[in-house]
Amino acid sequence: MTLEQIRALLPLIILVGAAVAIMLGLAVRRNHAFTVAVAVGSLAAAILSLALGPTVATPITPLLRLDGFSVFFSGLILAASLFVAVLSHGYWNRRRTVISEEFYILLLLAAAGSVTLTMAVHFASFFLGLEILSGSLYAMIAYERDRQAAVEAGIKYLVLAGGSSAVLLFGMALVYARTGTLDMAAAAAKLAGALDVLTLAGVAMILVGIGFKLALAPFHLWAADVYEGAPAPTAAYAATVSKGAIFALLVRLAAAMDIQSNPPFQATLAAAAVITMFAGNLLALRQSNLKRLLAYSSIAHMGYLLVAFLAAGTLGRTAVGFYLAAYIITTLGVFAVMIVLSGTERDADRLEDYIGLSRAHPLLAAVFAGMLLSLAGLPLTAGFVGKFYLLAAGVGAHLWVLVAALVISSTISLFYYLRFIAAAYAQPAAPPALPAAVAMPRLARLAIAVLVILLLWLGVYPAAVIRAIQEAVAIGR
Amino acid sequence: MAGFVALVAGRALSKRLVAWIGVGSVAASMVVTLLVAAGYFAHRPPNGVYSQTLWTWIRIGDFAPVIGLHLDALSLVMIVVVTVVAFLIHLFSSTHMENEEGYGRFFAYMNLFVSSMLILVLADNLLLLYLGWEGVGLCSYLLIGFWYRIPANGHAAMKAFIITRVGDAAMAVGLFLIFWSLGTLDISQISQRAPQQWPAGCGLAVAAAALLLGGAVGKSAQLPLQTWLPDAMAGPSPVSALIHAATMVTAGVYLIARMNALFALAPVVQGVIVVIGAATMLLAAFSALAQHDIKRVLAYSTISQIGYMFMALGIGAWGAAILHFASHAFFKALLFLAAGVVIQRLGDEHDMFRMGGLRKQLPLVFWTFLAGALSLSAALPILTAGSYSKDTILTLLHAVPGGKTALAAGLLGVIVTSIYTFRMVFLTFFGPAKMQAERTNRLPESIPLVLLALVAAFGGVAGLAGQNANWPGLVQFVQGGSSVAPAAGEAAISHVALGAIAASWLGLAIAAALYLRRRPAPAGETESALHRLLAAGWGFDALYDRLFVRPWLWIARVNRSDIVDSFYEAIGQATVALHGMMSGSQTGRTRQYATGVALGTILFIALMVLLRFWHS
Repeated sequence: MTLEQIRALLPLIILVGAAVAIMLGLAVRRNHAFTVAVAVGSLAAAILSLALGPTVATPITPLLRLDGFSVFFSGLILAASLFVAVLSHGYWNRRRTVISEEFYILLLLAAAGSVTLTMAVHFASFFLGLEILSGSLYAMIAYERDRQAAVEAGIKYLVLAGGSSAVLLFGMALVYARTGTLDMAAAAAKLAGALDVLTLAGVAMILVGIGFKLALAPFHLWAADVYEGAPAPTAAYAATVSKGAIFALLVRLAAAMDIQSNPPFQATLAAAAVITMFAGNLLALRQSNLKRLLAYSSIAHMGYLLVAFLAAGTLGRTAVGFYLAAYIITTLGVFAVMIVLSGTERDADRLEDYIGLSRAHPLLAAVFAGMLLSLAGLPLTAGFVGKFYLLAAGVGAHLWVLVAALVISSTISLFYYLRFIAAAYAQPAAPPALPAAVAMPRLARLAIAVLVILLLWLGVYPAAVIRAIQEAVAIGR
Repeated sequence: MAGFVALVAGRALSKRLVAWIGVGSVAASMVVTLLVAAGYFAHRPPNGVYSQTLWTWIRIGDFAPVIGLHLDALSLVMIVVVTVVAFLIHLFSSTHMENEEGYGRFFAYMNLFVSSMLILVLADNLLLLYLGWEGVGLCSYLLIGFWYRIPANGHAAMKAFIITRVGDAAMAVGLFLIFWSLGTLDISQISQRAPQQWPAGCGLAVAAAALLLGGAVGKSAQLPLQTWLPDAMAGPSPVSALIHAATMVTAGVYLIARMNALFALAPVVQGVIVVIGAATMLLAAFSALAQHDIKRVLAYSTISQIGYMFMALGIGAWGAAILHFASHAFFKALLFLAAGVVIQRLGDEHDMFRMGGLRKQLPLVFWTFLAGALSLSAALPILTAGSYSKDTILTLLHAVPGGKTALAAGLLGVIVTSIYTFRMVFLTFFGPAKMQAERTNRLPESIPLVLLALVAAFGGVAGLAGQNANWPGLVQFVQGGSSVAPAAGEAAISHVALGAIAASWLGLAIAAALYLRRRPAPAGETESALHRLLAAGWGFDALYDRLFVRPWLWIARVNRSDIVDSFYEAIGQATVALHGMMSGSQTGRTRQYATGVALGTILFIALMVLLRFWHS
């Protein structure tokens, strides 16, 4: 392994090293603040090492490859992990019943798995990354092991994700049986577009595995239960980092195997996209639990992303990159509000918790409203520009049915987002269910402020980011 | 350089609660603008344009709206006038509005207004211009309804908003048409492409110009959308001065001047503009004759003066229109502010017939008001700003073939203008004192009055005296060496100008004869039908009420259980029903979820395999 390759691998080395360091440190002495500092510091260092890393595409063993594409998505994932780590600090501080330090080990490992996914060019690294991520997520979901709902959610996810991993692995085996290689590009070259039924089924099963993790319909049933049971930071993590990493992998896999131009895949994924958009938005419609609502909304957003994904081409990939960035910022923003409002006993995930928020915390209510409006895709927010790009990509590729489904279903989505905003600005009839004066940790405040700035920046002046993404996805080929 | 102006304006927006910041930010904005102007003259760019692209908002195919600023002679004149007048009015308001509830709110809206106005003027593309356009409309709505506790004010605000909205809708359609046809919203590109792609007088050009004219007519309160402006006087006097006299209402004039290349392609529309301008000018001037409320007189006068600007625009002399805009901004702001002082000192009395003799009680206000009135009526040759600009317009009308009718209308307008102006002066300041005015002089109120009065009184002579080889006069500066713009010096001394002055004096004499000696009975006693008609602004409100509002209310009443609504309700219900069905799938049982995943997988694979055989 050359020095250049080690430099390229540095983000992963830092993350794993930090995880080990925390583990060893905990054997000596527990200190929450210190642990958070190490976790945040290592995530920041990993981002820095990405920024200062090799500027040319560098293959690292046959398994991984660092290029503009993986730099962009790894950066996005690491930044999102950093936000979750910062927000977790205040959250776990309030939950004294649980020892909190190990959460960050899991978080760092999950981030390492996600980064691996963005760099994977080989089915082995794909599967390894996915399992590192999923393995950490099981534990993060069931982290509050005294709470039955959390354990139940963890087990549900474990069983179902385990099943889907088996399907995925089976699919890889079928592809291997035909081509004799696990390298994505090499396998694609051997297949050269001509798929017999078995390989076709193999690729289909890989797509099913990915679809399960992204919670595309009809594999979406687990999402709401798991999000609801999981602690808010874990739910935030699952909704942003894990989805972003897997979508990045999907884009790279599709680019290697030319999935979008293959009619059977194209048609099936288009059908899945339409069902996903409607299923997510319809399920969210009268949801009064914010975590479940966000689960459904993230299902819908993955459906929107599929539109741009199916459009393919540079515009399609740019739209995917931008929309993922906007989606991650916005979803983190909503979760951040939820996390700072969550009390010692339970998360602030009920509609009642938000009634009259504007009186108790006017600024927080404004942030909350802004983030939800961005999820709904209203102008001057990141969500609007993102959705505009999705539509442009869809129209450019003449995917009229998908575009129509996107427009109709996102109109439905306005209803449930506005419902929560209306609640936040309504007069409280009864005294609030949660104590009004939640002491907001300074770090969380800073994180929220940064998220708001990013939201508006992407909404008002997206050009620079878009240019960066265009370059990143161009190298991605 | 120009970017800094926007920055300052943007700052004005954010820090708004403290009142002096409100004034200070506008002052800073003015200083920067003046520096920009100085810089512009020091280093005049070869093509007369500075443009500063700030950023591209989003880029989708051909559609790449740029957030950029465009500074040329036209926008330079506009921003100088806007910021100077805005600063003086803000200064005035700092004490004038002192005792009002919502002082901070007032300045917040005013600052937002100034920044929107600057965006409107400096925008280099129509989309950004439209943003500023809607921004000033919003501020106008908010400020008319400033005293929101009184229902009539809220009603006036709604009326202003809705009526200008009619124009805005036309304008938005115009923008779509232009983008669809020319593929750009950038103003300079439109000006280049339009003459290449559209032959003069072709249908598209006429349609685009007519739609933009619709927007301009709404904003500038011209026929047939003029009825909102007199009611807009419900707002505080500084608001009337700034928004409804000096700046916002002239946005329509600016729009047409800015898009002059487009309008030049549509001679039909230009003719319509002249007719609209002349008709509005006369109707509003006659209406002003019959008003009792001093602010309503000024409102009709504003409509009427903008009519003059439209007449100039219609003959393509947009430099002259901008000249009149500039002088009108100063003298009308002055009149409104002075009227505001009068109203306030008399304890919120608007009726001129209950005023009188204020010449002795409020001498400063009297002299400044008189300066404004002389400027408005164009009674003194050359000297005042108003006569300078108005005579320029009239001379140009004379110079245009077939402009005789318009000129006659213009001269008649001058007579009427002079009558209502001096009627106002005589009723308010002469005769026996009927009410006791509170005699206080506050410096922040007096300074703007005196400064504006100086500009109004001597603007004309300054404009003439300042002409030399480097400075060919405002008209040429704005419009360049265009054929329809003769030297302004000739304009002021031509025989047309002499006629105008004679007309003005005639009006003054009539007013003196009618109102100086003999005081007609106050409102409500001897009103002829004609008087009532004039007072009601030619009955346009009643007409619109019959024509649009009542049928609409009738439809609303008949259609209470809305037919269209039931369709949407059905959609809503269907959605909710679907939601119910979908929710049924969320059982929470892992074994059922696993079954779902398994079935889904089988479906997925089956579908793909089937599709493959279909395709091969």
